[in-house]
Amino acid sequence: MILPFTEDRDTGPFFAAARENRLVYAACEHCGRGSHPPAPFCSHCREPRSAWQEASGKGRLYSFTTVTHQIHPDYPAPYVLVVVTLDDNQDVRLIGRIDGDAALEIGQPMEVWFEQVADDVTLPQWRPASA
Amino acid sequence: MMEDLALAARDKCAIVGIGKTEYSKDSGRSTLALATEAARAAIADAGLSPDDIDGIVRCDMDRTMPVSVAAGLGLRRLHFWGETGPGGTAPSMMIGLAVAAVLSGQAKAVVVYRSLNGRSEDRFGSPSGPRARAGGFGSYDELYQPYGLLTPGQHFAMMAQRHMHEYGTKQEHLGAIAIACREAANRTPHAQMHDKPLTMEAYLASRPISLPLRLFDFCLESDGACAVVVTTTERARDLAKPPVTIRAVAGGQPSDTRAGMMFPALSRGDVTDIGGRQAAEELWRRAGLGPQDMDFAQLYDCFTISVLLQLEAFGFCRAGEGGPFAASGAIARGGSIPINTAGGNMSEGYMHGLNHFYEAVRQLRGEADNQVEGAQAGLVTSGLYPFGSAVVLGRNA
Repeated sequence: MILPFTEDRDTGPFFAAARENRLVYAACEHCGRGSHPPAPFCSHCREPRSAWQEASGKGRLYSFTTVTHQIHPDYPAPYVLVVVTLDDNQDVRLIGRIDGDAALEIGQPMEVWFEQVADDVTLPQWRPASA
Repeated sequence: MMEDLALAARDKCAIVGIGKTEYSKDSGRSTLALATEAARAAIADAGLSPDDIDGIVRCDMDRTMPVSVAAGLGLRRLHFWGETGPGGTAPSMMIGLAVAAVLSGQAKAVVVYRSLNGRSEDRFGSPSGPRARAGGFGSYDELYQPYGLLTPGQHFAMMAQRHMHEYGTKQEHLGAIAIACREAANRTPHAQMHDKPLTMEAYLASRPISLPLRLFDFCLESDGACAVVVTTTERARDLAKPPVTIRAVAGGQPSDTRAGMMFPALSRGDVTDIGGRQAAEELWRRAGLGPQDMDFAQLYDCFTISVLLQLEAFGFCRAGEGGPFAASGAIARGGSIPINTAGGNMSEGYMHGLNHFYEAVRQLRGEADNQVEGAQAGLVTSGLYPFGSAVVLGRNA
């Protein structure tokens, strides 16, 4: 398992929230546009007023790929990488992984879940939303 | 109004020498040895000596340092060195740096090179190796790698999937791009895939890697080096080969710019929003030419989908229509805009796109293996993420 560096000054709060099973994203307090990767300035209105927002944990599948050629021993193929656009903010798309094969359709509703991958690391993950 | 120096710079500089090593799966040599061989060949091709070289430009991902290449070439009076990147975005901007150095008087003749053991040492399709934690410090890898998003191929696969969803792009459309590159390589003796024809049937049956991308949607991870020499067009007229002039250079950013290298582009508003679109707009203005004036295009081809996105961005067809355009025959030999006429990164060898300059110069000198008859002007593009850059080259201005 490749663990993330969770102490980065701009992205660390994403992982700190995930440890508490909370999903957060960065958005500008001035214009409302989202920022991902999280940045200290807003690239749209240029105001330095990016702040962390609580996300609903709902989103839509933007794209995906079924990885069939294994790259790393801790990530056995096949697995599906998903890109999910947050319902809360269309500027923010997050990555998730579904182990094994999965029949997915772009645009389908997705929901977050939290995978604890180390004592001090939890990743927000994504799966098809339960009906 | 301020003078537009980009227009004043049109055709003022030229590529006067080109050099390369063999492209292989295992060079058995250091990247410094490769860089030196390619640069020596380029200098000799120009009819110059290392004593004439006073500038060096490298790609920021190259393992070799300018000082090492200066030592390898036995340079005596180096006055300018520069680097740019990242990666596949670099080559056209490397030419831009060389032009900037020459026109500002900081150097008289600049060697631009790219050297890599991309197969035997540093494979892009491999994880970066064991380490405690991924990312941080502005890399943003911490947001992607822990999920198993590890390679450029996986990234481009998701771009392809989205393009297929939005525009109805088909697997066969991508296949047409792979085959166009392969057929060009089949006519180019030094290309790694020279003796390996590719049919649509074989393409569609090829091994899935990261769907919808298959084996033949990927470029070749290669060992080798490539180099060119840039100087003034005035000086070029006295040198060994007909000058190939640098008509315009431009870089561009996407309209929705995100921090970070490649994976963050997944958050951009639109899959067709690549830096090449803005680069193209400025490039055509600076060149006073358009896509219809190009006799060939050497398009950066890390993957088939990269070519498709750039056919759209550089105006050869409209956004979303890259698939049918590629499958129409337009990009093949004899078509309206033959691409990657030596096989490109897909089938010639992956010199990170600097090989596209080597081939473009051969075309405009009339000495290519897969010659486009009467070629007068051509496009070279570099990279898709995070930015794009491109050059228009011309024959004998």
